[in-house]
Amino acid sequence: MERRGFLKAGTAGFASLVSGAGLLTWAPRSEAATISKTLYITAGTHTMPDGVSVYIKGFSDSSADLNVPATPIVCQEGDTLEITIINRLAVTHNFVIGGLKAGDPPLVSSGDIAGGGSKTITYTIPTGKAGSYLFYDNKTSYNVFLGLHGGLAIMPAGSSNQLYSGSPTFVKQLFWVFNDIDPALNSAVQHGTTVPTSFTPRYFTINGQTSLPPGAVGFDDPTRDAMANPETQLAGSVGDRTLIRMLNAGMCSHAVHTHANHMEWLTDRGTVRGSVWKKDVLYLRNQLGKIDAIYPFEAPPDAYPPVTTGHFPMHLHDEMSQTAGGGMYLFGAMTDIVFK
Amino acid sequence: MGMNGGGGGGGGGMGNACYVYPGAPATPGFVTPDVLFQRGIYMNGSMRFDDGNSVTIWGFTDLAAGGGGGAGGDQMGGGSFPSPAIRVTEGQIVHTALSVNMMWMHTIHHHGIEPSTENDGVGHLSWDVTGGTYTYQWRPLHAGTYFYHCHVNTPLHAEMGMYGALIVDPKPTPGDPAGTKRAFYNGPKYDVEAIWACDEIDPNWHTLPWYAGTCGGDVGLNNLNPRYFIITGVDGASSALTNPAVAVNMTLGQTLLVRYICAGFYPQKISFGGLTASVVASDGRPLPAAWNTGAIEAHSAERYDCIIKPTSRGTWTVTVQFFHWRTGAVLGTAKTRITVA
Repeated sequence: MERRGFLKAGTAGFASLVSGAGLLTWAPRSEAATISKTLYITAGTHTMPDGVSVYIKGFSDSSADLNVPATPIVCQEGDTLEITIINRLAVTHNFVIGGLKAGDPPLVSSGDIAGGGSKTITYTIPTGKAGSYLFYDNKTSYNVFLGLHGGLAIMPAGSSNQLYSGSPTFVKQLFWVFNDIDPALNSAVQHGTTVPTSFTPRYFTINGQTSLPPGAVGFDDPTRDAMANPETQLAGSVGDRTLIRMLNAGMCSHAVHTHANHMEWLTDRGTVRGSVWKKDVLYLRNQLGKIDAIYPFEAPPDAYPPVTTGHFPMHLHDEMSQTAGGGMYLFGAMTDIVFK
Repeated sequence: MGMNGGGGGGGGGMGNACYVYPGAPATPGFVTPDVLFQRGIYMNGSMRFDDGNSVTIWGFTDLAAGGGGGAGGDQMGGGSFPSPAIRVTEGQIVHTALSVNMMWMHTIHHHGIEPSTENDGVGHLSWDVTGGTYTYQWRPLHAGTYFYHCHVNTPLHAEMGMYGALIVDPKPTPGDPAGTKRAFYNGPKYDVEAIWACDEIDPNWHTLPWYAGTCGGDVGLNNLNPRYFIITGVDGASSALTNPAVAVNMTLGQTLLVRYICAGFYPQKISFGGLTASVVASDGRPLPAAWNTGAIEAHSAERYDCIIKPTSRGTWTVTVQFFHWRTGAVLGTAKTRITVA
């Protein structure tokens, strides 16, 4: 079954944005390498599904881009990261790569990067650091919520199909980076007014986009619709075991629910679990929580007659996150699971 | 406002609803089932809390049991909350026939059950049932604890109460005497069962129409401010301490299986009052090894199957804390009891 193929005028769609790629390609190397990357701190506005324009910031690929989340970085143990951050804005920012496990210090921190300035951080990755990381700005407690975040995948040296040495194997991998947006915060930052002390998020994104249901403007447009974006969509044939690196950059905890298959739960906040549980809901903590899990792409086990194809949702089961602007169910943090 | 959504719903809508996908087609690959559940709906039930206040509740009815709420009526009555349980045995071909009249749209998603797209109950990928009956066909492969709920305007419809337990019992383990109850095939045995669906209630949401917010406009569905905290449809303030549908009374030597369902939207923590639970399964799958714990932190729609074998007589108070999804503040607590005679 194809997703509904018709378009119909609905509410205002999500503004076109340069969304950070989630689907990762990786070929292991026998030798360590230096991974050089330049990130530009930029700002602009995005239009939310209800037409509200929200000010955001991002670690972007060029000074003309606004990438939220940032384009992911993939490397392997032993590599040296050489990341230059150019602050194109007027206010001070910074760049940190969070630690592997909850409570760990950051892998690396840039220190303050003054408005208009730049910094280069260099970090050689030791053995034992394979895993999923969030890089972000912690100059303030809320900069990460504005969009200043992205995913870093450190592969085990020489491996293309393991999260960590000895982990269950996968065929493909991608990031799901979640964020929750309270436009009052973003507006206060934009206009230099007092930042609220309490937040009530009104928009919920996965890899910088919301889902757009059939009938909505932008439906099935991969540049706008998180259901259709191939960087976010979980697509494969039976056997295409896919590692999902889930990072929570937002302010709320979430319950990640997949239809059609249970997930193999490998890590929680960077710690490898003692055994692999099969779950259809995973508790993704806030305060920079993260989870790694494999979606096994097995034929949906309870179908009768049996099937091997179909479309199913991944959505957050804390259902407030499936709305936009206080309503508009189906315009939240959701993507499509496609059994090809 | 008339229906202007065309043949598949979409941006137009039905009544005052948008982004709905009406339909009640024939079931692909329809076969004679091993077991049939006939569900109607009710849209004007109520729940009364310990403080005397009450809210409107919606749910599913059991048409075979004369529960009313069929598509031929106005479906404006009441019914049980939570909705009647669906209980099957692994390997059975199951039909869940949902009848909804043309005033409403609802689906049944058998949460944790993984059928074909057409039978998954997700409207924008299949259809929202209206003006007739759709029969969901599925065959559960794994014993365990699940639940079913409506997947239309889900934040509202699940909050309004449109859910019920779904239990898949295992096939008999060879050699077991008749009547033996196990959590899963060749899994731990139990004598007494409790199904605790723990949920929070925001009364402000319980005044909204079924389509609220679907065409836009701020109806507050991003902002849940619960005032009541319940266990399996019973107020956890005090009633659930003694209500026989929730509180457990057992005798020393018996084994209890608690099927804990996180039925709300906010994170929870269930604590067993000093008893140790051996968690043997979650989300309908046995754990590789049992996990012994006195408390479980869970988020929306997670399920945990907990074996409890008290070693003495007494009474233990079980508490379920509900946490704000952003601040982590404790918003409320629901309590029940395990009494061992």
